[in-house]
Amino acid sequence: MSRKTVIGSATIFAVLALWFLLTSVTQVISPGRFPSPSDTWLAFVQITGKGYANGVLTEHILRSVMLVTLGFLVAVCTGVPLGLLMGWSRRAEALINPVFLIIRPIPPLAWIPLAILWLGLGDMAKIMVIWFAAFVPSVINAYAGVRSLDRTLIEAAQMLGTPMLTFMREILLPGASPMIFTGLRLSLQASWTTLVAAELVGAMTGLGRVLNAAQQDLYPGMILVGMIAVTLCGWLMTVALGIAERYALAWNTAAKALD
Amino acid sequence: MGAIRFDNVGRVYGGKQGSVEALKGVHLDIADKEFMAVVGPSGCGKTTCLRFVAGFDQPTSGTVSVDDVRVTSPGPDRAVVFQQFALMPWKTVRGNIELGLRNNGIARAERDDRIERILALMNLTSYADAFPHQLSGGMQQRVSIARAYVLDPDVLLMDEPFGALDAQTRVVMQEELVRLARRNPRTVMFITHAVEEAVYLADRVAVMARQPGRIKEILDIRSVREAERWDEHEKIEDVMDLESFVHLRTQIWRSLRQEKAMEIA
Repeated sequence: MSRKTVIGSATIFAVLALWFLLTSVTQVISPGRFPSPSDTWLAFVQITGKGYANGVLTEHILRSVMLVTLGFLVAVCTGVPLGLLMGWSRRAEALINPVFLIIRPIPPLAWIPLAILWLGLGDMAKIMVIWFAAFVPSVINAYAGVRSLDRTLIEAAQMLGTPMLTFMREILLPGASPMIFTGLRLSLQASWTTLVAAELVGAMTGLGRVLNAAQQDLYPGMILVGMIAVTLCGWLMTVALGIAERYALAWNTAAKALD
Repeated sequence: MGAIRFDNVGRVYGGKQGSVEALKGVHLDIADKEFMAVVGPSGCGKTTCLRFVAGFDQPTSGTVSVDDVRVTSPGPDRAVVFQQFALMPWKTVRGNIELGLRNNGIARAERDDRIERILALMNLTSYADAFPHQLSGGMQQRVSIARAYVLDPDVLLMDEPFGALDAQTRVVMQEELVRLARRNPRTVMFITHAVEEAVYLADRVAVMARQPGRIKEILDIRSVREAERWDEHEKIEDVMDLESFVHLRTQIWRSLRQEKAMEIA
């Protein structure tokens, strides 16, 4: 084990010990404000066994992961091509950018009332809000990726007589991909943030629903379980994206390591 | 075929403080299969001239044509070797060389065949599946030259191709290019600011002047090279020791130095 890992684990252990000390042992923090480790464990046992807020933990997780994935994918599949188009074509940029600049500063969560008005309390409204939140970083980074593309590479491709479709697929997309992946990471983070907020407003199941129900039930242990579950899900999806990135950009990471 | 003609070519850059005449009245004929080197001080517009032939830029007056057809856009009949190699970092050596062939609808079997041949010719066979960043600068420029040559272009445009290489690699590449060019002649327009390189490689050398950029004089190297049998020497330093070589080199230096003197005066 490296020095860094030792210190890191020691810190985490210290925080856990402090948590135990302040809650269970001394009760400096009252159980009504922040749960003790054993309260949290009991809440965890309850939600995995008997269930809580209309379902067991796996059901809530699956629901949330599904919504995030759908919203994220819709955002990426619309945002990245739009960003590439705006980066490549001055005309498309002139046409789209003004609208984009107006929509961009609207906080994604401010769309929730409209989304509910249009689509009700169901999944569609949540997917829409996630889409709006995740869309912006995808567009901006794909756009910046195209703009950062080396001018001589474009000239080299033209000189080689590269047709438009091949150019898009083999020059523009891989050339912009390091920035595109940066955008995807930000989009994924935005998706999770927005999901929890959207589910807080109204949902039958999902991790946001767990958090909301636990707050209404004055159940701190369950709130903490919900928070930990959201964090772990977000973290795991980010790790998965990182693996996809390393695989897709093998040429780039190696090139960077050389510099 | 691949005869290049500059006919009264000029380039003016317009700005708020008035316009700058970067090139004026450039006349230059490069014959089919001729190796023309262009030397000149920086800012004389030599790279701009090459970019006109490549079709990346357009002159503001006059015309640039290849085989009497006016150049309007880039294309694989005029392959370019860039100073900074311009290889796609996400493609292997083979992938980089293959792109141009694929674009021009050449069938798989013939593609593979041509790639194998050019890889062997450029000593790249064992690096076929490497990515550009795994190669040295000299190797990357070999790939870039292979990518251009494999298209069998009428015209090869080389923009200071060895400018980014270290001195030893540069010499090796110059010797290789001479062998390649003599065995497999193409119309070549070769931009450089290294006088020795120009004299060693070219059939003729065009000396450019600046403000405004123009062709100052054109020297015939080929007749001297053939009369003095330069090609019988395998190594560049042996050629560079010959009296005839030194004479030509000095002549070009004087021509360039007059430019510098005028600039300072």
